Amino acid sequence: MSAVRLAGVSKDFDGVPAVRELDLDVADGELLVVLGPSGCGKSTVLRLMAGLEEATAGRILIGDRDVTKLSPGRRNVSMVFQSYALFPHLTAAENIGFGLVVREVRRAEVRERVAQAATVAGCAHLLERRPAQLSGGERQRIALARALVREPDVFLLDEPLSNLDAELRAQTRAELKLLHARVGATMLYVTHDQIEALTLGQRIAVLRDGELQQLGTPEQIWREPANRFVARFVGSPAMNLLASGAAVGLEAPAGAEVGIRSEHLALGEEGVEATVTLVEPIGSEALVHLRAAGTELVARVPAEAGHGVGDTVRLSSSREHAHLFDGETGERLPWT
Amino acid sequence: MVRGTFWRSLGAAAVIAVVGLPIVFLIAGSLRQPGLPPPVTPELIPDPVVFGNYERAADLVGLGRAALNSFIVAALAAPLSVLVASWAGFALVLIRARARTAILAASLLALMIPLTALLVPRFALYRSLGLVNTFVPLVAPALVATSPIYVLVFYVAFRRLPPELYDACRLEAASPFQIWRRVAMPLVRPVAVAIGLLAFVLSWGNFLDPLVYLHDRDLFTLPLALRSLAQLDPTNYPLLLAGAVIATAPIVAVFLVAQRYFLHEHRGAGWLGR
Amino acid sequence: MDLKDRRQLALMLAPYLLGLVGLVAVPAVVTFGLALTEYDLIRSPRFVGLDNLRELAGDEVFHTALLNSAVFAAIAVPLRLGSALALALLLHRRFRGAGSARAAAVFPTVVPDVAYGLLWLWLLNPLYGPITLFLAWLGPPGKTIWGLSLPQFLTHPNDARAAVVLLSVFTIGEGFVLLLVARQSLPGELYELAAVEDATAWSVFRRVTLPLLAPILVLLVLRDTILSFQLNFVPALVVTEGGPPPYSTTYLPLFVYRTGFEYLRYGYASAATVLMFVLTAAAVWLQWLVLRRARLASF
Repeated sequence: MSAVRLAGVSKDFDGVPAVRELDLDVADGELLVVLGPSGCGKSTVLRLMAGLEEATAGRILIGDRDVTKLSPGRRNVSMVFQSYALFPHLTAAENIGFGLVVREVRRAEVRERVAQAATVAGCAHLLERRPAQLSGGERQRIALARALVREPDVFLLDEPLSNLDAELRAQTRAELKLLHARVGATMLYVTHDQIEALTLGQRIAVLRDGELQQLGTPEQIWREPANRFVARFVGSPAMNLLASGAAVGLEAPAGAEVGIRSEHLALGEEGVEATVTLVEPIGSEALVHLRAAGTELVARVPAEAGHGVGDTVRLSSSREHAHLFDGETGERLPWT
Repeated sequence: MVRGTFWRSLGAAAVIAVVGLPIVFLIAGSLRQPGLPPPVTPELIPDPVVFGNYERAADLVGLGRAALNSFIVAALAAPLSVLVASWAGFALVLIRARARTAILAASLLALMIPLTALLVPRFALYRSLGLVNTFVPLVAPALVATSPIYVLVFYVAFRRLPPELYDACRLEAASPFQIWRRVAMPLVRPVAVAIGLLAFVLSWGNFLDPLVYLHDRDLFTLPLALRSLAQLDPTNYPLLLAGAVIATAPIVAVFLVAQRYFLHEHRGAGWLGR
Repeated sequence: MDLKDRRQLALMLAPYLLGLVGLVAVPAVVTFGLALTEYDLIRSPRFVGLDNLRELAGDEVFHTALLNSAVFAAIAVPLRLGSALALALLLHRRFRGAGSARAAAVFPTVVPDVAYGLLWLWLLNPLYGPITLFLAWLGPPGKTIWGLSLPQFLTHPNDARAAVVLLSVFTIGEGFVLLLVARQSLPGELYELAAVEDATAWSVFRRVTLPLLAPILVLLVLRDTILSFQLNFVPALVVTEGGPPPYSTTYLPLFVYRTGFEYLRYGYASAATVLMFVLTAAAVWLQWLVLRRARLASF
């Protein structure tokens, strides 16, 4: 296990930049999530660390080794692919042991280590099957065991849960967190799913167009988004962004935008008058779409409140829950 | 849809009849007593049925020896073709784009040259190397995989494998040769089998090359021996047809195995590994 | 990819590249060189400049061979491609007999050329041949149906040329398999949509199938044109022996073969080969232009 450091790493594809001068430090044993929308370069970051792509500029270090020019097989990293990339003609055991066999490890040792890794990943009972005979969740475990078996310095996981259905995804997410706690390895986890990022990550790196937007704990990302993009990308529904505070009864400085999450809007007796335009019930809560002072907003309120389309309500919020962003650059501004 | 199927089946029956009837006549003709006057209508079962033509054809020009020669050549050329084609096709997937483009273009160009156009210079080349009247010129085309089209077929088949499989191999420090042997080849096995059998068939039926390169009767392959049979007794059709049956029969066996791999796409994996 | 891996890849490519250079590129270049010489394989080549080409220009046999080859290509290529396409469209689906019919369609291509030629020699024989007997059985004595005279495949020039074309129409396995696979890989939804729109079979063929198969058809037209310079070699040598006299079925490949290997004039044969190259290239280029203008070539 080792720390990972990216220093000024850039990657162009035929002149089109995918990653721009990225600096990233991952601590030894940390689980860092790289979060961003599709096409933001997050998978490229992972492939650069794996050595599957060669950086156009910058350096990559694992521990104190400079691996920038090293081939993937010599970096001692392992990867779980989105599609799992299991070899269809090999059994689960042969898939897990593949890396050991091509490195000419002794047969007995291969068998022992495969069994060990399979136990950790929870797939010891599947070893004789082929990928075609396994369910999505089972394949995922085999892929995980294959990554574990070599005891690499760094684990790279590329959207490993995106091919699972919702229930299995939640369950596997929890297991992954337990697994990380048990193995204590350095892990880089790429996802576009903010829930996964918030639940799994010790820290989150938010990426957009190949540029790092913010690096921080889930708490920091949530409470103090560094800019408009992070604020809108993390959280569902997306944070309300308003050209002025008028619609929520706040006074913001000129030229600043006000951001406020849907759950921090209160509908009651006081505040700005608003009209309900749409109600989306989501179980115990409801998303109420409103028009106030010429802007559209979404509030999340208890379902019992029973708002209907066309109702007139009053809207309020508090300054401590509101975020300020520069109207031009989108950067976070302090309240003064 | 039902109506469509009926007409299609009728069409299929017609195709089978058009190809099948000549085969029936071939076998019927080979069982005819030589020297009989011509029949008035086409005959499906000759009267009397004689098998002596096979024996005579085999003895007259040594078809047994020729069959052995043909087998030696094809058994060398076919696996070698598969090896060369699959190596080249595999390497093409992994090398840099510019080299790949160049080699693919050269292959297409090579495909566009008729074999007869290369006859004279190739002969001059082999002659200067002292290889005329050996099997070398007959096996050597395996170096271009019998036909560059097989290299292209392998390239396409390997390209169709998911790229993450190659990535996974690279992460495990597998060398190109290990990837070829342990992952790529097992996954395109139907393609490899089909190409191997086709190369065998082509080599077995090759007439032009033996005609030009072999002078020694002991080295004659089946097509060449068959041709000398035709020159020896050009009007003895039962004899010639018996020879043709001997030259064709082994290929029928190989073909019946091969066609399952590239004509029946629903048998799991077929042509191009689909 | 480190150095060791690159070296392995180069090693895997080496045999093929060796073959391409040694068996294709070098011989092709040598042909151009030999075309300028007088060479009988015994004495060393003697440079004669453009003499061979001048001689070819006045060689009646060469002219006949050239014309025969051109006529053969013009008739055989459309016929071969048409039947390959028809068979592929007939047999691409799964139904009773489809598998056997596919095997039957490929079968003539895998029969050894000489055996195939001998079979046809028998089928077309004027006394014993089943085809002749069948045609005779259809009509009055000595004639076939409608009082037409019986074909003389081996003695009448045009009948012999027709026979060589006929032989080539059955050996279409390669084109058939390629078109079969191409047709099978077309998305079924397109045809379901056409069925919902109640399109006629002809307009489905014209507007859906043909345009989608166009790229592979173009490739096959070009390749078959080139192949037509080699696929009549064995029939012409074994079945018709270049005749009926003097040169009715002497095509370019047979001309080159006889000039070189029977009359030992390798330089002269090479010159003819070079002309064959040039003519093939011109024909391919011309077709390419026409097909591109017809918007069939989408690449």
